[in-house]
Amino acid sequence: MIVSVNTLYGQDLESFLEDQMEESTEYTTATFKATRIMNGHSVERMPEGQLDFRISHRFGRVNSGAYEFFGIDQANIHLSLEYGIRDWLMVGVGRGTFEKTVDGFVKISPLRQSTGARNMPVSVSFMSGIYVNGLHWNDPERENYFYHRISYAHQLMIARKFNQRFSLQLTPSYLHRNLVETVFDPNDLFALGAGARLKLTSRISFNAEYFYVFDPDDRYLTTEIHNPLAVGFDIETGGHVFQIILTNSVAMRENGIIGYTTGRWIDGDIHIGFNISRVFQLK
Amino acid sequence: MKKVLPFVILILIFRSCYWDNEETLYPALGECDTTDVSYIGDIVPILSGNCYSCHSNLNAPSFGSGIRLEDHQDVVSLEERIAGSINHEAGYVPMPRGSSKLDPCSILKFEAWVADGSPDN
Repeated sequence: MIVSVNTLYGQDLESFLEDQMEESTEYTTATFKATRIMNGHSVERMPEGQLDFRISHRFGRVNSGAYEFFGIDQANIHLSLEYGIRDWLMVGVGRGTFEKTVDGFVKISPLRQSTGARNMPVSVSFMSGIYVNGLHWNDPERENYFYHRISYAHQLMIARKFNQRFSLQLTPSYLHRNLVETVFDPNDLFALGAGARLKLTSRISFNAEYFYVFDPDDRYLTTEIHNPLAVGFDIETGGHVFQIILTNSVAMRENGIIGYTTGRWIDGDIHIGFNISRVFQLK
Repeated sequence: MKKVLPFVILILIFRSCYWDNEETLYPALGECDTTDVSYIGDIVPILSGNCYSCHSNLNAPSFGSGIRLEDHQDVVSLEERIAGSINHEAGYVPMPRGSSKLDPCSILKFEAWVADGSPDN
């Protein structure tokens, strides 16, 4: 009787202890150092209450020669303010030189990579952007509509941090332009992006990003576009992340990166550029 | 509600989606008039609307690499480079800088004007 009571008590204690020690979930952090891999978005967002002031530069083409100082005499810029409304929700507004575009975006992260009680192999974010072309109308005499200035982009970012050193992201993307030039130019463009980060030291990482743009039939496009490739380094210094970039795209937002990369790496149409990011804690 | 609000905002923004192209919407574009292109009537408006912000006589040294496009003789001496740049051809610096090409009719008018001997008319 006493033995059986002891046995019962032992079983209860074990299950009692098991209930107390729930497996905890460890969420992966810092899949990428910044909210951009190079040109395109990464899965990362701004934490709640933090404001990111981003200044981006893309110089001219390196193959324009020594007279143009290998492109540095020509600069395209993009300024933006990006804010974390919640840890999982981020918004941004910006203005860039390319087509004098004013843009805005929303980025939501429904899933984070984690191990433990909740096992999630990837982090997932979704970005939607709207881009408004600010140039004067080509022909002010004809009937021009404001909505013809607008393009939209949607991207799904799926990333995995494999270890402390290496992260990889896939970015299926969709770009829609309300107005294009001819019947052969597509209003809709689809692209698949891939980005990777290789951590070199605690402050420096090497990043690369490539978008494969699915051209329906590029023989008839008004302007020939090519797949954008960007490589470079992230350098983190206190409150700044400094990204140095080499790329064949001159634009710094999805409408130009996916829709208007006219340069080719093998022709030397390479733009040196950088992104500077300064984070302010507002809350 | 908190998680739904961003999607509501997105839906409101993206309700103005169109699938338009200029060729269908503005058929007159196909009838670009390249006969009797005049410098003052056709070329100067194109240049002033797209180029003088960097390539006026005043701005050229700072923004236009010293390339001035305000005077007729300057435009004539640079006409081959201008044609290459506005066509975004390989080996030329694409112009307007940082943007997509000029509208096709402007490019055709410039080329027609050059073919006519770049008259100062």
